[in-house]
Amino acid sequence: MGEKPLVSLRGLAKYFPVGGSLFGRNKQLLRAVDGIDLDINRGETLGLVGESGCGKSTLARTLIRLYEPSEGEIIFAGDDIAHLNEKQLKPYRARMQMIFQDPYASLNGRMNVRDLIAEPLEIAGVGTKESRSKRVDQLLERVGLNADHADRFAHEFSGGQRQRIGIARAIALEPDLIICDEPISALDVSIQAQVVNMLEDLQNEFNLTYLFITHDLSMVRHICDRIGVMYLGKIVELAPNEALYNKPSHPYTQALLASIPVADPTARHEVVSMQGEIPNPMDVPSGCRFRTRCPLATNKCTEEVPEFKNIGEGHFVACHFV
Amino acid sequence: MSKQAKTKSPQHRVPLLELEGLATSFFTQRGEVQAVRGVSLQISPGKILGIVGESGSGKSITCMSILRLLKSSGKIIGGKAMFEGTDLFTLKEEEMRQLRGNDIAVIFQDPMTSLNPTMSVGDQVMETILRHKNVSKAEARARTIELFELVRIPSPESRLNSYPHEFSGGMRQRVMIAIALSCDPKLLIADEPTTALDVTIQRQILTLIKDIQARMDMAVILITHDLGVIAEVTDRVLVMYGGLVMEEGRVNDIFANPRHPYTQGLMASIPDMSGKRQARLQPIPGSPPDMNAPPTGCPFSPRCEHVRVQCSQELPPLYGREDANYLVEGQSVRCWLHHSDAPFVEGVNSPDLVQVER
Ligand SMILES: Nc1ncnc2c1ncn2[C@@H]1O[C@H](COP(=O)(O)OP(=O)(O)OP(=O)(O)O)[C@@H](O)[C@H]1O
Ligand SMILES: Nc1ncnc2c1ncn2[C@@H]1O[C@H](COP(=O)(O)OP(=O)(O)OP(=O)(O)O)[C@@H](O)[C@H]1O
Ligand code: SF4
Ligand SMILES: [Mg+2]
Ligand SMILES: [Mg+2]
Repeated sequence: MGEKPLVSLRGLAKYFPVGGSLFGRNKQLLRAVDGIDLDINRGETLGLVGESGCGKSTLARTLIRLYEPSEGEIIFAGDDIAHLNEKQLKPYRARMQMIFQDPYASLNGRMNVRDLIAEPLEIAGVGTKESRSKRVDQLLERVGLNADHADRFAHEFSGGQRQRIGIARAIALEPDLIICDEPISALDVSIQAQVVNMLEDLQNEFNLTYLFITHDLSMVRHICDRIGVMYLGKIVELAPNEALYNKPSHPYTQALLASIPVADPTARHEVVSMQGEIPNPMDVPSGCRFRTRCPLATNKCTEEVPEFKNIGEGHFVACHFV
Repeated sequence: MSKQAKTKSPQHRVPLLELEGLATSFFTQRGEVQAVRGVSLQISPGKILGIVGESGSGKSITCMSILRLLKSSGKIIGGKAMFEGTDLFTLKEEEMRQLRGNDIAVIFQDPMTSLNPTMSVGDQVMETILRHKNVSKAEARARTIELFELVRIPSPESRLNSYPHEFSGGMRQRVMIAIALSCDPKLLIADEPTTALDVTIQRQILTLIKDIQARMDMAVILITHDLGVIAEVTDRVLVMYGGLVMEEGRVNDIFANPRHPYTQGLMASIPDMSGKRQARLQPIPGSPPDMNAPPTGCPFSPRCEHVRVQCSQELPPLYGREDANYLVEGQSVRCWLHHSDAPFVEGVNSPDLVQVER
């Protein structure tokens, strides 16, 4: 653990201007990611969970500079890449890859599988046409597809196979970091486990670091070393896997965990479902942003922003009552 | 579970819907897609039947067939759907339309595509009521407000004029539920009603459906691929694969003693949330069948770890307790391993049962 983190985010924020007139008057700021401090260690799988719209994908896309950050630093392998231009970013691009939820939408339908997998190699200018082709064969085999598949098009494959193609593309350049944004949500239950096992094997083989985004809390439990819980643009709790599940400390995390349907009909539990819905991100509540849905909220929560406190052994919580 | 013990088993009540031997195919340029290949099911008032299974196994098409809402290339080529004594498949289109939205209602996965984006949510609910009930506009409006309260849309009166895009996914799904319930249906078909939603909102919606269902003695068919959801809310479960029912039974029995290799594989591939982190998940190898050319014999045979020669030659029948005494009352399984001559396979046809509370 003495090693420096692969990624350190400091006060990272991404605001989107929305609404307003054509000429930009009356535009409001949507604070999709609203000040995040987070380290991702080399070789770990960091999970990111939270309700739809809380900013998980925006955080991931800003981190790998698909979006221009509004504020803050992104230290990647020691260098701040938050404000580099596209040319300066090029060497970093190859080291950060992404796997998407919908493997179909993310693959160009006019390219065959060989070209799809060779594309990142080509863009990075790696090797010759022949050596790239050889590498594609290796990659296909590595993700459990065979050479016959190389000349087909993405639409000829099942969801699970498409996701394998997406994974082959992502590992082609042997990156340091792979962002998995809901990589299994669109897959069959029986296929999800295949893909998760493959991701775990590849991680061991290539010492990959994963940022794993999902709202499937049972898969997070299985695959992640540490888990961050996001609410309305901020991380409200961050903890090692066991600690988060055994000692969830933020009321929001507690509500999330209690809501998971358990695959055991003899363990049916009545849950007081959490009231209300995520507030409008253009009008974030004062103080603690969870207070409008929190069963514990008091005046203090309206007035003061809770500090993101360390409650021991890498367990951080932002709540006045912890 | 105590609730489970008190209620009568479905056999004791006259089924509301009995689907028998449904076969539905799509006739496309690439040939016939045999989406559903002989599915039977029953459901009684006040019960929730869950349908799980692989993507493409025919869950939605089974329900769309019952509702007679198939795309024009889809044809029901066999079977009966007895609803309170009439076969839905013999009704005239006009009679069927009267039934839909009245006695039988449906909720789909994606509330955005099923709501009209150019009409306020209040008007959409009122329109349904006016179409099916002989009431005045004012009465329809009052009923809409009542329904919004029922599905817990906050300050319902002021939300009547909102448009779908002004609502979150969870709120839109509640509007869909309000529309579905507007005519007090006897049967509600919910196809992945919470798949697009978060756990907290999912929990709200499931609690809501269960609540209303119990209060109105409504029968519900709930399609989902989430075994957690199945375990939490259903009374009986039907497991589909390759257009067929592979296993059926009471929810407690299916979870305690799954007897089909596919059901077992499905249960083993989900992460265990109760104990410690597992080292490794146990996926089912291979991929689901192509329904353009389903495998002969058992559709699961290309992926089954217990496959035998006979499996890929002939379709196994649905075995029940009368064929194999280790199956429990009301459990049926489509797998050759339950034939009386089949070899012993631990866990599949072994007599040791996990005891289930009734
Ligand atoms: N390009 C954009 N322009 C304006 N607003 C955006 C943009 N992208 C995202 N948002 C808004 O930012 C917020 C966070 O969105 P984001 O996609 O990061 O959420 P998420 O946590 O990934 O949700 P999900 O689980 O649904 O994928 C949302 O309110 C969303 O509407
Ligand atoms: N309009 C159509 N034309 C041709 N084939 C179709 C059509 N609609 C469905 N099918 C096929 O019918 C089969 C059953 O589809 P169905 O939608 O019932 O699956 P499902 O079990 O609901 O899956 P999912 O979990 O993905 O919703 C699939 O093989 C599908 O490809
Ligand atoms: S019939 Fe044969 S192939 Fe099918 S599930 Fe049973 S053992 Fe497996
Ligand atoms: Mg996202
Ligand atoms: Mg479906």
